[in-house]
Amino acid sequence: MNKKIPIFCIIAISIIIVIIASMYSSIDKTFDVDMTRTHGSISTAMGSPILGDPLAPITIVEFGDYQCHQCYNWFHNTKPMIMRDYIETGKANLVFVDFAFLGKDSAKAAQATYCANDQNMYWEYHDSLYILQESKIDNGWASSERLKAFAFNLNLDMKLFDECLDSEKYSKRVQYNSQQARDNGVKGTPGFFIISSDYGQKQISGAQPYSVFQKILESMI
Amino acid sequence: MIKIFKIIFSNFKFLAISLTIFSSMMLSLLFISEFIFTDPYFVTHMPSGSELGFILIIMLSGLSALVIPMNLFRIINLKNSKQKMSTSIFGTTVGSVAGACSCGPIGFSMISTFGSVGATATAFLTNYEIPIRIIAILILLITYFTTIKSLKTECRINF
Repeated sequence: MNKKIPIFCIIAISIIIVIIASMYSSIDKTFDVDMTRTHGSISTAMGSPILGDPLAPITIVEFGDYQCHQCYNWFHNTKPMIMRDYIETGKANLVFVDFAFLGKDSAKAAQATYCANDQNMYWEYHDSLYILQESKIDNGWASSERLKAFAFNLNLDMKLFDECLDSEKYSKRVQYNSQQARDNGVKGTPGFFIISSDYGQKQISGAQPYSVFQKILESMI
Repeated sequence: MIKIFKIIFSNFKFLAISLTIFSSMMLSLLFISEFIFTDPYFVTHMPSGSELGFILIIMLSGLSALVIPMNLFRIINLKNSKQKMSTSIFGTTVGSVAGACSCGPIGFSMISTFGSVGATATAFLTNYEIPIRIIAILILLITYFTTIKSLKTECRINF
């Protein structure tokens, strides 16, 4: 009987170590999100921080892929005018939700934005990806090394950023966002939902010009 | 060459085929490449930097609308081989497929249906959209000139 006591002790200690280790790793992968945040039919809890006034009456939800050239077109041709006329004036706000389906680097780039978000630089990093995007998919412009170089250019804490990106801490977050796109019937990027508590939600597919957004937004204000 | 055009396109049937090919191909390619939107409103849009893509679509549609009816004329009226017809359809198809995928619904469907193979094909067709369209235009140009040459001989038109 006495001979079994050390064996039980070893097993108990092992179990305690495993429990502590798993708790430690889960603590390491937690992040600060409001899991209840929804806009219309879309759960934006795992999406970007809200750009603009969180209390604005209209929310534009953009589903995008960082390797999508049409998203690049929208970012450069339409978004600046929406920013000027609706977001900066407090009439609307914007949430970006990843729909990373084009290539292996799409998901990595999306994860990198949340690593930047850990240092409160989500939108700066998001913008730099669309400014520096190359038109070719998976040609290396959004490889891990390049993503780290973009972070370095934004003066992020590289130790934290590298650890975050290499550990794929936000892999599930990006998968969740892509699933939200599929669940809401998005069939390509960029895809938009204009959501108002009074007028419901309207979907816009593709990198459409400012005039289309203006027409819909004005009808909802 | 003008006589050949007159012979072929004075026939309403071939003129109608040509106009149908041009308009349907141009509209569908402009729609797929997001130069035209129909939902929620009909709107045309040319983002800066997309001018070359637009010109290539017009060239591709125009050449297809010339070459396909000319080869149909050869097959129907002169009972000639279908080889050039196949080449022109091949050129048209190659040119149309390039850039059709990208991040729009067609690319998404390809990736959803065929997984990594679809993703690789989509990436290839997106990355090499412009060179593929240029190659397709070259194929159609070569077919156009060889068809003209053949028609000159076959119709025994005296120039």
